[in-house]
Amino acid sequence: MKKKLRHFIFQELIFVADPDSFSDDDDLLAAGLNSIGIMRLIMYIETAFGVTLPDAEITVENLQTLNLLAQWIKGHQA
Amino acid sequence: MNSSKDPIIQSLNPADYLTLAMDEEIRQENMPGSLCGFALVLDSLPDVIQLTARISEFTEQFPLALASLQQQGDRFHWCQRTQPFSIFFQHKCADPESAGTFQQTTLLTLLNQQQPRETLAPLEFHLISDPNNTVFLLRWIHPFCDAKGADLILKYLCTEDKAQRTQFDLPKSESLVNVHLAKYKWWQKIALFLKAKRYITRLDSYHSIQHADLSHPPKQLNCITHTFSAEQSGVIAQQVRSNVGLTGTSLYYIGCLIRALHGLAPEQAGDAYCVPYAFNLRKQNVRTPLLGNHIGTLFAQAPKTVIANRIALFTHLKQQNKETIQQQLDYAFLPIMWAASWLSLKKYGSELRVSHGDGSERSSVWFSDIGQAEFVARSFFGADVVGLRHLCQISSPPGIALLVCQYRQQLTLSYNFIEPLFNEAQIEQLHQLMSQELLGAAS
Repeated sequence: MKKKLRHFIFQELIFVADPDSFSDDDDLLAAGLNSIGIMRLIMYIETAFGVTLPDAEITVENLQTLNLLAQWIKGHQA
Repeated sequence: MNSSKDPIIQSLNPADYLTLAMDEEIRQENMPGSLCGFALVLDSLPDVIQLTARISEFTEQFPLALASLQQQGDRFHWCQRTQPFSIFFQHKCADPESAGTFQQTTLLTLLNQQQPRETLAPLEFHLISDPNNTVFLLRWIHPFCDAKGADLILKYLCTEDKAQRTQFDLPKSESLVNVHLAKYKWWQKIALFLKAKRYITRLDSYHSIQHADLSHPPKQLNCITHTFSAEQSGVIAQQVRSNVGLTGTSLYYIGCLIRALHGLAPEQAGDAYCVPYAFNLRKQNVRTPLLGNHIGTLFAQAPKTVIANRIALFTHLKQQNKETIQQQLDYAFLPIMWAASWLSLKKYGSELRVSHGDGSERSSVWFSDIGQAEFVARSFFGADVVGLRHLCQISSPPGIALLVCQYRQQLTLSYNFIEPLFNEAQIEQLHQLMSQELLGAAS
């Protein structure tokens, strides 16, 4: 899951010079993930992983790192 | 300059034609075209020798900064100039009595300067100083860069480490419009094209509200900037979170602006406010200050019926935005942008501006959320940065634009407006209403 998330985020949303050195605990928001990027990411997640993510849960706590993001998605998978 | 023979350095990409069409629209109104400015307000004169050297280094790394925008055949290109010219200028106030107004007057003179597209420098730097303080202005034309690009140029100038400065570059890939379109099969492109057309038709079923006094022709750009304190900016950030959440910061500003404009003249004719906002195809954090403005336009639209209730308005704008992304309307515009880049500028400008419903102007106000300034240095060549200002020319109507930026945890609003379609008193009144809205005091 994290591999797919990484690919989408660094391919489509944020530029980082060396994606491999960006850890699963590094701050995605500080790296440049902005509001329209978050919207695109959520649409991607809902399609790619077959989950529905409630608007009320679109918070810093769920989006700040790849680990938190993956944890959030897993919480909504059947 | 022989505009038909100068060597081509770089051709415009399909997205560039969108901003170029707006440049032409503004020029057709006897105004200077799509000139923009990013100004740093400084507490003292910076180290001019170092600044000059850094600007000179910038033009060596980006010789395109010295190019000329020319039409050759049907297409437009950045072309090499045959004669050397300067892009850094200093303006000093000689008369101490006019020190109070010198900076504002000079800024506006520079932004109102009319010059043919071919001879205009794509980028200029101006140091405007009076005995009290100094303004450093970066003035550019669309489509050479956008506000984020200008921010990156300032970041380049302020980056002390030479190795880090060399990481700034021109975009490596081909046009992002083409890159994204290449992901779709031909029939999918047609489906996207039709989807975008349906979106525009739906949008045009409402007559857009205009606040400009259109009984006089546009004469000049004026700009008023207000910066909120860190404490007020914190309150506004909280309002953003509670009203629209993490994904709707720009929508909060747009919603407040719509309500403030409505408060200015509630009986104004029209059905809805229509606010264009840019979406950017490039990734965040890319270090490409020039030629990276792969933007398109989407619209936030709010009928009069939802404006009275703040919560209903924000819910409406958020839902609209969500549907836009869900239905991939941003990408749906790509085939239209590609196709429109082959139209004449006049036809393209008309498609962008004129409602298919009743032939009136589609946009009620221009809006741009520049976001957090990348340029984060406190010091600019030894001078302290005490404020920011953003300026842009606008077509008339709508004759008004709001540019929003955050710097050092403070929110700055730059109201750009065309006189005499709007006047300073109206804009100050608008800001009062806008402040109440942003701070949540108008609930």
